[in-house]
Amino acid sequence: MSSTMVGILGILIMLAIFLTRMSVAYVMAMVGFVGFCVLISVEGGLNLLSRNIYGSFSSYDLTTIPLFILMGQIAFNSGISKRLYNTAYKFLGSIRGGLAMATVSSCTAFGAVCGSSPATASIMTTVGMPEMKRYNYTDDLAAGSVASGGGLGMIMPPSVVLIIYGIMTEQSIGALFVSGILPALLLTVLFIICIYITCTISPEKGPAGEKFTFAEKIKSLTGLTDTLIVFVISIGGLFLGFFTPTESAAVGVAGVLIISVVRRQLSWKAFVKALYETLSTTSMVMFLIAGAVVFSKFLAVTRIPFDIATWVGGLDLPPAIVIGIIIFIYFLGGCFMDSLGLIMLTIPIFFPVITSLGYDPIWFGIIIVLVAEMGVITPPVGLNVYVVYGVSKGVVGEIQLETIFKGIFPFLISVVIGIIILIIFPQITLILPNLMY
Amino acid sequence: MKQIWSFFDRLETKMRALGAFCLMAMVAVTCSDVIGRAFGVPIFGSEEIVSFLLTLVLALSLPYAHREKVHVGVEILFRLFSAPVRVLLSLITNIFSLALIIIITVMMFQYAASMRESGEVSMNLEYPEYTIIFALSFCFFILNFFILRDILTLFRFKESIRHFTNEEGDE
Repeated sequence: MSSTMVGILGILIMLAIFLTRMSVAYVMAMVGFVGFCVLISVEGGLNLLSRNIYGSFSSYDLTTIPLFILMGQIAFNSGISKRLYNTAYKFLGSIRGGLAMATVSSCTAFGAVCGSSPATASIMTTVGMPEMKRYNYTDDLAAGSVASGGGLGMIMPPSVVLIIYGIMTEQSIGALFVSGILPALLLTVLFIICIYITCTISPEKGPAGEKFTFAEKIKSLTGLTDTLIVFVISIGGLFLGFFTPTESAAVGVAGVLIISVVRRQLSWKAFVKALYETLSTTSMVMFLIAGAVVFSKFLAVTRIPFDIATWVGGLDLPPAIVIGIIIFIYFLGGCFMDSLGLIMLTIPIFFPVITSLGYDPIWFGIIIVLVAEMGVITPPVGLNVYVVYGVSKGVVGEIQLETIFKGIFPFLISVVIGIIILIIFPQITLILPNLMY
Repeated sequence: MKQIWSFFDRLETKMRALGAFCLMAMVAVTCSDVIGRAFGVPIFGSEEIVSFLLTLVLALSLPYAHREKVHVGVEILFRLFSAPVRVLLSLITNIFSLALIIIITVMMFQYAASMRESGEVSMNLEYPEYTIIFALSFCFFILNFFILRDILTLFRFKESIRHFTNEEGDE
């Protein structure tokens, strides 16, 4: 059997085992290990397993991940998100659909200190949902805005998905971070327009809330201070080349920690909780990376990624069609699989195709993170939807899953429009990294 | 048997606490290095220290992450199966997971032993890296017991079927 056939068989077996709910990381490591044993040698496969897992677990580049997760967890447990929401609420709450707009804006702002999409969705459910419920917002608009807004945390720097993409494709994490800012803001604006249109068509979905004086609005701007300080020092230091990504993350953790302690908003219990949550999330992410590394070594020896890149290069299709097909595959995959796992699994296959077609790897990184953002809100997997469903039970009472998925639909259209805009105008993504790097 | 599992649970709690300490140590070392660098006195080998701490963070959180069931899996088809089929599938996948982790444990131990024999040390601090790999191997060894416990629990078919039926109800 040729190495390509072994590779195809390996991929099919892996997809079949995925359906048994076995951990994606374990499956990738197992199939990669067995495949490597078949193609190279049993000894080679055994060594691959130990050396690559240790290599991933001790990689300095990857030290960024637990630190940025910890930064988000501390911010999550110390009330920073509540202050952000309060500011957005004072400015937007009085207009129709304003609370949903405030929620989406807070999600983007919170994304500046938290790189995790489910964490953002979870905290914003706790903070935003009770207010929307109080002002008689319909469940679909309220839950839809929280679940979709949560996905913005994935694009706004720091983003764990972008860090992993950067490491896997050897792209500058600083450049990826800076290129995520404008698309995140574009998507926020699109979400706000979407809420505005929804509430214009059906005013009962998002009635206007309380009005605040100009002085109160200005005073509320202090709620942005914490996030701005942390973002400017941590991410700003990274953009300007003062810090490496790891240093930027560690300084961010220290910043959030100091602010939370000074404000007396982080109890010991909440701090320990943040640490433990970081341990479990980091373990999940790093295991995925280790599994993906083992699997990609197997893929490399099958030569499938190179064969696909050569095959696509030989096709007489315009590059835009090829990129469209790849995005569609990501979209389909995102419906069934966790976005992080999907990206790690497919990058070794699609990245050579993208570079051979002459597309910018930074631009492609942002596009696939946006597609992954669709994955976290589309049925049947839609991680953020389940987060909102689970958290809202304890906050405002049960909301049917169907209602949340229904509420997400207009936001999904906004994401599609956002992707189309970024494909037509790649400058939106690339202008900042081109200016700074 | 209960006493054995209770010992592993206590061990996991201690490992988790130590992992959290290593995580904060990563922050402390990196920040100290940044501040030190500003004054011309950076911490020598800080990158290596932070990398070793990362390995310890991950190693020490292995049993906790398994216990919390954080590792992502594809649920879509699994949810459609009846409770007995779910039990059977979970049993099979857990046995495969255990086999994989046993292989990793053994290979990691052998890797550490070979590093010790060769006398390999880290580039800057000249720290014997095998100690960290032995620690990682030990933590994988502990993880085996947590997976084994899941397998043994699944063998209590009636209880497991009830558990999966309740899970179905929750959805």
